[in-house]
Amino acid sequence: MDELVSLSVNAGCATITLARPQARNALSFELIHALAKVIRDVAARVAAEPDTIRVVVVAGNGKSFCAGMDLKAVLHDPVRMGEMLQQLSLSLLALRQLPVPTIARVQGAAIGGGCGLVVVCDFAVTHPEAKLGYPEVDLGVCPAVVAPWLIKKIGAGPARAMLLLGGTLCGTDALTRGLVTHCVEAAQLDGTVADLAARLMTGGVNAIACTKRFLNELDGSDDESIARAAAELSARVIASPEAQAHLQRHFQIAPPSQPRT
Amino acid sequence: MRLVTASSANGVCTITLSDPARRNALGSLLFEQLESAVGDAHAMAERRELIAVRLCACGPAFCAGFNLQECVDDPHTLAGFVLRLSSLTRALRAMPAVVVAQVHGPALAGGCAIVASCDIVCASEQATFGYPVHRIGVSPAVSLPTLMGSAGCGGARVLTLSGEIVDAQRAAVLGLVHRIAPDEPSLNALVGELLEELRSKGPQALRETKAWLNAIDGTGPAGQFGAAADRVASATAALCTEVESRTLLADAWRRRARTP
Repeated sequence: MDELVSLSVNAGCATITLARPQARNALSFELIHALAKVIRDVAARVAAEPDTIRVVVVAGNGKSFCAGMDLKAVLHDPVRMGEMLQQLSLSLLALRQLPVPTIARVQGAAIGGGCGLVVVCDFAVTHPEAKLGYPEVDLGVCPAVVAPWLIKKIGAGPARAMLLLGGTLCGTDALTRGLVTHCVEAAQLDGTVADLAARLMTGGVNAIACTKRFLNELDGSDDESIARAAAELSARVIASPEAQAHLQRHFQIAPPSQPRT
Repeated sequence: MRLVTASSANGVCTITLSDPARRNALGSLLFEQLESAVGDAHAMAERRELIAVRLCACGPAFCAGFNLQECVDDPHTLAGFVLRLSSLTRALRAMPAVVVAQVHGPALAGGCAIVASCDIVCASEQATFGYPVHRIGVSPAVSLPTLMGSAGCGGARVLTLSGEIVDAQRAAVLGLVHRIAPDEPSLNALVGELLEELRSKGPQALRETKAWLNAIDGTGPAGQFGAAADRVASATAALCTEVESRTLLADAWRRRARTP
C-alpha cells in the first residue's frame, strides 16, 4: 500500500503531507497512525539535530487539505473509533509540542478534525474559496478534540459560538475569524507558504524553540489529560444513539442488524 | 406586575425583559422574575424539552444595569443585587441548552454581565456594551468569570477597567458579540434563523459540547469558576456597603435627580 502520510525535508523545511487524495485525505484509522508516526519522526530529528528541521509545513495532496474524520468505516466499531480519536488527539498535541514553527497549507476543504490540524499549527495559509470549520454538532457529534485548540486560537467566546453553531466558513471569513493567519489566491498558496517558511527560518533556532515552548506552557497546550479526556468524550458521544442515527442518515447506510426484542 | 415574560415553543424558551419604562433595570421584582424564568428554563432543559433559550428585551434598552433607585437608601440592597447577578450569570452558563442573547440596545453594567454569560450574542448596530459602574463606586468584577471567557483576558481588562461603552462592532472585535444585524427587525430575523439552525443539530451533541466548553474554558462549576466566582461575588458585595460606594452612589443619584 502507498504511504498515507509522507515526510520530505528540504533545506530546513519539513513537509508532512497527507496522501489519501481519493478520500480527500479523510482521517482514517491507518492514516492517523501514519500521521502519528511521522510527527514522532520529526520530533526525534528536531531533538537530535536541531538545525536540520527549522519549520514544519502540514499539507494535503489533491483537491482538499483534509475532509475530517473518516467515521464511516468505524461507525459500528466503538473500540476502534475510540483508539482513533485518542491517536488523533495525541497527534495534535505532539504537533503542537514540536519546538519549531508549524504552518498548515490549506486548499479546498479542512473540516472537523482536519480543521483541528489547521488551528493547532502556529500559522495557516488558505485561499478565499476554501471551506473550513466544525460541522460536528450538525451530525450529532461533539467537537471535543478540536475545542481546546480552537479556544487557544480564537478565544473562548468566539470558539463557543462557532462550535455550538456548527457549519463551515469560506477562506475569507476564516481569516476574519482568526482560524487562519493568511488568505491568498489559490495560485499563490505555495509561494506564500515558502516565503513564510523562509522568514521563520531566519530567527535563532533556540530563541524560536524557547518562545514556542513558553507559549505552549502559558496557554495550557501541554495538558495531555485534556487531550485524552476530549477523545473519550468525543467517542462516547459518537457511540450514542443520537449521533449514530445522524451519522447513518448522513452516510445513508443501514444501521447494524440487531436482534429485535 | 410582569416585568419578565417567558414562553416556550418548538424547543426554544424565549425570556423577555419587559420593563421598558425603567430600561429593564435589574430591581428586586425583575430579578425575582428573571431568576424564576431562568430556573424554569433550566428544569425544561433538564427534561430535554429545550434546545435553546432566547434572551431578549423590549423598550429602548436591553438592560441598563441595577435599579439604583432601590439601592440609594439601603446599601445592603445593592450588595444583594451583586450576589444575585453573580448567581444569574452562573445559572445562564450552567443552563443545559444554548443561550442566545438578542441585544437591540444598550446592555450596560449588570445588563452587559448577563450578555457576557450567554453562549451566542447577536446584536443590532444600535446595541452598546460596557461597565460604567466605577463612578458609583461599584466593581464590575462579578462579570469577569464569564467575560474573560467571552472577550478574552485582554478585552475583559479593557472593558471592566475603563468603564468605556463600546458599540456592537467594537464588541464583536473584542469577542463579546458574535453576529451583527443592521437594525432591530433584521436582528429579530437573524436570531430566528439561528435558532432554526440550532434545532437541526443533535441536542445531545449541543449539550455535551457546551458542558465540555464550560469545563475547558474555566466557566464550569467544577473548575476555578465556582470558587473564584463565589469569592469575587462576596468581595464585590462587601464593597457596596462601604463609605466610598455609598457616597458615590448618593452623589450620582442627586446629580441624576437634578438633570431635567
